[in-house]
Amino acid sequence: MRLHHDLVFVLVKRELKVRYRGSFLGAIWTMLQPLLMMLVLHTVFSAIFRFSIKNYPVYALTGVLFWNFFSQSITNSMNSLRGNAILLRKVAVPYAVFPFAAVVSGVVNLVLALVPLLALLIVTDHKIGPALLFLPVAIAIALLFTLGAGLALSPLAVFFTDVIEFVTVLLTLTMYLTPVFYPKDILPDHFYWIVHYNPIRSVLEVFRDPIYLSKIPPIQHLSVALLCAMASFAIGVWIYRKSERRIAFFV
Amino acid sequence: MTVVQLRGVSLDYSVKEHTATSIKEYFIQVLRGRRKRKVIRALREVDLEVERAECVGIIGRNGAGKSTMLKVVSGILRPTRGTVSVDGRVAPILELGTGFDYELSGRENIELNALLLGLSRREIKALEESIIDFSGIRRSIEQPVKSYSLGMVARLGFAIATASIPSVLILDEVTAVGDAEFMLRCQRRVDELVSSGTTTLVVSHDETTIRRLCTRCVLLEGGEIRAQGKVDEVLAEYGRRTLHRIDSASGSQSHETEDSALEASSAV
Repeated sequence: MRLHHDLVFVLVKRELKVRYRGSFLGAIWTMLQPLLMMLVLHTVFSAIFRFSIKNYPVYALTGVLFWNFFSQSITNSMNSLRGNAILLRKVAVPYAVFPFAAVVSGVVNLVLALVPLLALLIVTDHKIGPALLFLPVAIAIALLFTLGAGLALSPLAVFFTDVIEFVTVLLTLTMYLTPVFYPKDILPDHFYWIVHYNPIRSVLEVFRDPIYLSKIPPIQHLSVALLCAMASFAIGVWIYRKSERRIAFFV
Repeated sequence: MTVVQLRGVSLDYSVKEHTATSIKEYFIQVLRGRRKRKVIRALREVDLEVERAECVGIIGRNGAGKSTMLKVVSGILRPTRGTVSVDGRVAPILELGTGFDYELSGRENIELNALLLGLSRREIKALEESIIDFSGIRRSIEQPVKSYSLGMVARLGFAIATASIPSVLILDEVTAVGDAEFMLRCQRRVDELVSSGTTTLVVSHDETTIRRLCTRCVLLEGGEIRAQGKVDEVLAEYGRRTLHRIDSASGSQSHETEDSALEASSAV
């Protein structure tokens, strides 16, 4: 177990190093990209859609940070076993370390990207409350939720190539069904419920509340999010366990 | 002391008659009721015991189950039936650059690769300098591996795999890429490991390698052990069988025979 822990650590280190090495701005990109994205959204939505929401930049940036973490972690963990196929045919490595490392790298990037978020809070004179200290819990819930999906998808992507294409499209669809950059209450009634019952929305709001509303999410929301995260993790582990033995034959 | 023990090991690959690599195909096949499985038995009732410090060569033609057997020993594949017990750490010598990240430096790859091979970080720290010395690429160790020549990658890989003494060393068709000096050092290192008690399993089509390294030989055919014992005798038996097959093949129809013979010997 200790060994797996080391292995995840080194794999995360590798992912970050490889990502930032050879790029001029390096880790700054992780901070800059969501800011630029937020600027784009702000421009588009304040000029075209105009919904009334106070301090939209902070609302949008929290959404973008969360979504980047979620979609990148899913994509990377989904590809993690395929990408290491040659190695997995030769060495008995516990497969789970690869999706694990992918999601943990995502968390590291998310935490890095909190720096420009903090800057934005200060610049826009947004209320900074003690609720921010709740963020580690919110991130832990998001980690658990994403890890479940990553664990399930990594073997499935080994068995069926289509999974990758399918999930890519599904991720785009889900992004629109999650209030990443629009407020939930602009939705017409007959759509509202889809977004409302979307578990990712629940996990996102637990992350957004401490920053945007500077309050700890209400206990009902929190327990729903935690329940979704635990369900996702349990299903992920179950699928992973069921397919683990067959991975070596397909990879 | 027995280090590797296989008892009645069989391994079935279940291959779908019509392999589905996409979900669409999968469902079409399910609907048509054509999800019949064809079982390919890659290993059949294999019994093998290897003692400490023994070096066993595994020979046989393509598809005979040699690599599958090594995968069972290293724990990558679990046998369908039978038991496998291995005492200690198994270290495969990987094909050129497997498990390396070409963007990372040589030093960073030592940590990554050795962890993948099952060493702990503390062990790696302790061995790092001797790995660099043995690989003989100290000058380039901070450079990214993508700037290395093939020989340098091979040296580093070999140095990492043999740095700590594994209980079982696996050499699966490790092709000679290094220069003469390095090859000699590799041979010495394998000899050293063997004399310090490492058990070695070698798969090779090269008789010279087998003769030089091995104390015993196993002939696999169609997933079964057909002969084992003294190296010379088993190699001779393999030669006889090969000749016999080629003779009888050229007697009947020509091209197809090789493939279908391979199929027949591995399919159930």
